[in-house]
Amino acid sequence: MLEILGSLFALAIGAGFVGSLSGLGGGVFIVPALVVFAKMPMQVAVGASLISVVATSAGASVAFVRDGWTNLKVAMVLECATVTGAVTGAYLAGVVPTVVLEVLFALMMLQSAYSTINKMGDSILTQGDPLAERLQLGGEIRDDVTGQMTHYGVRNLPGGAVLMVIAGLMSGLLGIGSGALKVIAMDQVMHIPLKVSSATSNFMIGVTAGAGALVFLARGDVSTAIAAPVALGVTAGALAGSRVLPHANVNALRMVFFAILLLIAAEMGWRALSGI
Amino acid sequence: MARAVRDLKMTQQSHEDLILRAWTPFLLRTILIVAAIILVAGLILMANYSPGFYVSRFQAVRSGHFHARDPMGVTFSKALWGDPHSVMTVGLLVLTLVPLARVAFCFVLFIMERDYIYVAFTAYVLTGLIAGVLLGRIG
Repeated sequence: MLEILGSLFALAIGAGFVGSLSGLGGGVFIVPALVVFAKMPMQVAVGASLISVVATSAGASVAFVRDGWTNLKVAMVLECATVTGAVTGAYLAGVVPTVVLEVLFALMMLQSAYSTINKMGDSILTQGDPLAERLQLGGEIRDDVTGQMTHYGVRNLPGGAVLMVIAGLMSGLLGIGSGALKVIAMDQVMHIPLKVSSATSNFMIGVTAGAGALVFLARGDVSTAIAAPVALGVTAGALAGSRVLPHANVNALRMVFFAILLLIAAEMGWRALSGI
Repeated sequence: MARAVRDLKMTQQSHEDLILRAWTPFLLRTILIVAAIILVAGLILMANYSPGFYVSRFQAVRSGHFHARDPMGVTFSKALWGDPHSVMTVGLLVLTLVPLARVAFCFVLFIMERDYIYVAFTAYVLTGLIAGVLLGRIG
C-alpha cells in the first residue's frame, strides 16, 4: 500500500508545483500520468484531475491572494464568461463531435505556444481602457528590477471574455481545465502581466473544476483510493509552487508555459487520434 | 464633486480589497486544512486497519470497477463510524466545496459593501454553478 501511495504522492506533488506556477492546474499532467503510467481508465483519471485542479487552485491561491498577485475583480468578471461556457458546453456534449474539437484545441495550443515564445518579458500598460477602469480592474505589481510597486491597466475585456467563454465550452465539452486558454486570454488579449495572469487563472480554474468535481463525486465517478492521495500531494505541490512564483523570472516562466502548451497539444492530438 | 465621488470609489475599492485579501486566504486555508486532516485521517485508518483493502481497491479501479458507492447520507454515517473509505470521500467533498464557498463569501461581502455591479457578477456565477451541479451538467 505504501509503495502505491508513495508513487501517487510524488506524481501529485510535481503536478501541483508546475500547475500552480503556470496557472494551469495539475490536470494536464495527472491525466496522462494516470492513464499511461498507472494504467488507470480515462474516467478515473478525469475524476482525479478535477480534484487535483481544485486542490491546486485552493492551495496556490492562499499565498497568491494574500500577497496581491491574484486580481480578484478580473477573476470575478471573467468567471461569468467561463461558467456560461461550461454550462453550455455540458449541454452540447454529445452533439458536437469531440474529435474535431480536440484537433482544433491542439492547433490553438500550438499557435499559443508560438505567441508565448515570441512575446518575451512583460510590457506593462499603466492605463487601462474605459470599461476596465469603470469596473476598477487595474491592479499593482512589484517591478522585478526596481522593486517598486507599479500600477497596471487592463484592456480589451470583451476579447478576453470571448476567450473565457471558449475556455468554459472546452471544459464542458472535453472535461479539461482550460487553464492555458485563461492565461492566454489575460496575458495576450487583456495585457495583464504574466505572473498576475497565472495567479488569477489559478484562482479561477477551481470554480468550474469544483462544481464539476461535485457532480463527479455525486455520480460516484471519483475513485477515492486514487483521488485522496492525489489531492493531498497536489495541495503540497501547489503550496510550494506559490512560494516560488513571486521570485520566478518571467522569461523562464514563459519557457515553462511554452513547454506545457506543447504537451497539451500533443495530449489533445493523441486523444483525437486514439478516439478516447 | 467628481473628485469626491472618485475618492469615495477609491476608498470603497481599497476597503473591499483589504477585506477580500485578508478573508479569502483565511477561508481557503481553513477549509483546505479541514479537508487535509480528514483525508490524512482516512489514509491512516486505511493503512492501520485494512491496507490489503486499499491494494485490492486500487487493482479494482485499474480494471474499471469503481462504481460501488453509497448514497451521501450513508457515506457520512459510515465516516462517523470510522470507515476509512467513507472518511476519505467526506474529505474530498469538503475540498470540492472550497471554490463554491469562496464565491458565496464574495457575494455576501459585495452585498454588505453595496457594490451592486459585483453582486450581479457573483450572483450570476453562483447561480450558474449551482444550476450546473443540480442538473449534473457541469464538469
